[in-house]
Amino acid sequence: MQQLLELSRRINLSQYVVYIGFLLIFLFFAITLGDDGFLTQRNLTNIILQTAPTTIMAIGLVFVLAAGEIDLSFGSIVAVAALSSAVILGEYPLFYGVLAGLGVGIAIGFFNGVLVAYLRLPSFLVTLATMGLFAGIARSMTNLRSVPVINESFVGFFGSGSLFGVPSLLLWTLGAVAVGHFVFRETKLGAHVLATGDNPRAAQVSGIKVPRVRLMVMMICGGLAGLAGLLYAGRLQAARYTLGESDLMTVIAAVIIGGTALNGGKGTIIGALVGSLMMGMLNNGLILMGLSVSDQMIVRGVIILIAVAISLRDVNR
Amino acid sequence: MHLITKTAFAAAVSLALTGTSWAQTIGPSGETATPSAEVVVADSDIATLKAGNHTAALVWHDQSDFVSAVSAGATDEFARFGIEVVATTNAAFDTAKQRSDIETVLAKEPSIVLALPLDPVASAAAFKEATETGVQLVFLSNVPAGYEHGTHYASIVTDDLFQMGKQAADALAADLGGKGKVGWIFHDATYYVTNQRDNAFKTTIENDYPEMEIVATAGISDPARAEEIANAMLLKHPDLAGVYVTWAGPAEGVLSALRSNGNKSTKIVTLDLSEPIALDMVRGGNVSAIVADEAYELGRAMAASAARGLLGQDSPAFVVAPAITVNADNVQEGWQTSLHRDAPKSLTQ
Repeated sequence: MQQLLELSRRINLSQYVVYIGFLLIFLFFAITLGDDGFLTQRNLTNIILQTAPTTIMAIGLVFVLAAGEIDLSFGSIVAVAALSSAVILGEYPLFYGVLAGLGVGIAIGFFNGVLVAYLRLPSFLVTLATMGLFAGIARSMTNLRSVPVINESFVGFFGSGSLFGVPSLLLWTLGAVAVGHFVFRETKLGAHVLATGDNPRAAQVSGIKVPRVRLMVMMICGGLAGLAGLLYAGRLQAARYTLGESDLMTVIAAVIIGGTALNGGKGTIIGALVGSLMMGMLNNGLILMGLSVSDQMIVRGVIILIAVAISLRDVNR
Repeated sequence: MHLITKTAFAAAVSLALTGTSWAQTIGPSGETATPSAEVVVADSDIATLKAGNHTAALVWHDQSDFVSAVSAGATDEFARFGIEVVATTNAAFDTAKQRSDIETVLAKEPSIVLALPLDPVASAAAFKEATETGVQLVFLSNVPAGYEHGTHYASIVTDDLFQMGKQAADALAADLGGKGKVGWIFHDATYYVTNQRDNAFKTTIENDYPEMEIVATAGISDPARAEEIANAMLLKHPDLAGVYVTWAGPAEGVLSALRSNGNKSTKIVTLDLSEPIALDMVRGGNVSAIVADEAYELGRAMAASAARGLLGQDSPAFVVAPAITVNADNVQEGWQTSLHRDAPKSLTQ
């Protein structure tokens, strides 16, 4: 094990761990489950569509982590955004429903961001608190009741629809990844995010408005969590207070395995996409293997542990 | 006679419609209940089933002793028919994950899916794909909105929910000699299973035990907060003779509150078997009885209903498995009947 880690350090395996891991897991399932439906087009499409919301949350988290902050509240934002959107759609047309979902997400991100950027409260504690706060709001909004979404254009746009045969969830994933990657790599904001995460004081001295960057990343994360909420609402044709609740660990794992540094200054959107797909594929394959639920959890935990250990090897040096 | 029947029917309907004071377990859409023992596969049909090389998937909401026992009951019954369980999933109460789980297991093209749909509203879209592929669906306890018996699913199988609540009330009343002040800790969520059980307890105390009175009520949605809730209740009503707790998880918190208050007199009744709760009961502590469902039998009946569906035979829309009251004297038997395994060692030593 020690030798393996040493080798991985020498060839800087951490950079590629997500791609290698993805490939290895894919090959393993393809060989063992080839006859069990794993390789069918439907199943592979399922994996991509099922991971759409987590991929979109992961993109937001890359910005936050790369800036040296963390957001633990995005799961709760997903639920509040989905419920807001579903409630508004019951009375008003599509546009307002979408506006409500995204608006709520960005607004909560703004709220988190102000506390983190201008009051200089640690983002871990702020979002730990707002995670509970907004989970509570999600529960009380509709008294724990699920809200059906019957607006067909909404369901088409965000759930089961397709454009030229390409499912809408795939389009949202690709769109968010493309825009996220562009902003992160090619714009001033992306550069400022990395500089802030790498060394906030140096960034401040070199003229970067560090608080503004911190506010922006929290808002991006909130907005994308809102979008993920819309996708869940579209896919399930309903919103419920539990949406997004269990995604926190999956998304953090996907982002870290993808190659984003937990302590800032380094991040990759494409890595997060592959990380998210890897997590989805793992869930899918372990179910198809016919493992008991407990065994699925154990195997998943071990694989994530190995992947994270190799990913963080470089960072922790 | 005719008039009496009609009046009784009208009364039953009005009871069902008022929602809180029904007299027996009714299905989510008002279906009458058929005992699970009536859902069986004829021996003469077993060979046909075996020749079919069928497979089944179990799509559960969560992981627990209860779910394990239902799975065991189903798996054993399926084994008799040569049906293999090829996938098992746990949504951890996440409707979105359950949707993904269904899509995933359908890749294995099972002939049967047994499932507990998490939520009537949010599960409707989730199970749609399964109904379209012609899989035999049997639901546990809940049914997605708009689904019809025979068209979309073979049966709903559930506990005799009313009996569970009623037997809890009867057990508490028996222990308290039919009098005293009672606290009622109910599940504060719109959830068919717990709502029916909780209300049955309340109705039974109110209707059958005139010298007992529910003086304190509190809702819980997070079992982890049960201890705080019980502490607050005991502070306001130190003279409670008994407390009903909606299920065993929160009852552990209530028990802990009683212990830390040094309270040895207030009795607890709760639903679903749990070792810590049962241990207090066999040691003569606060717990007077636990009412349990026959989880293993639920699984068996689900499997039998699905197998009947494969054979083209109808099954009743709404099937209930019996409830059993477990007290200090019949712990071993209770565990066997409910979960189909021996009671934990701590309880029988």
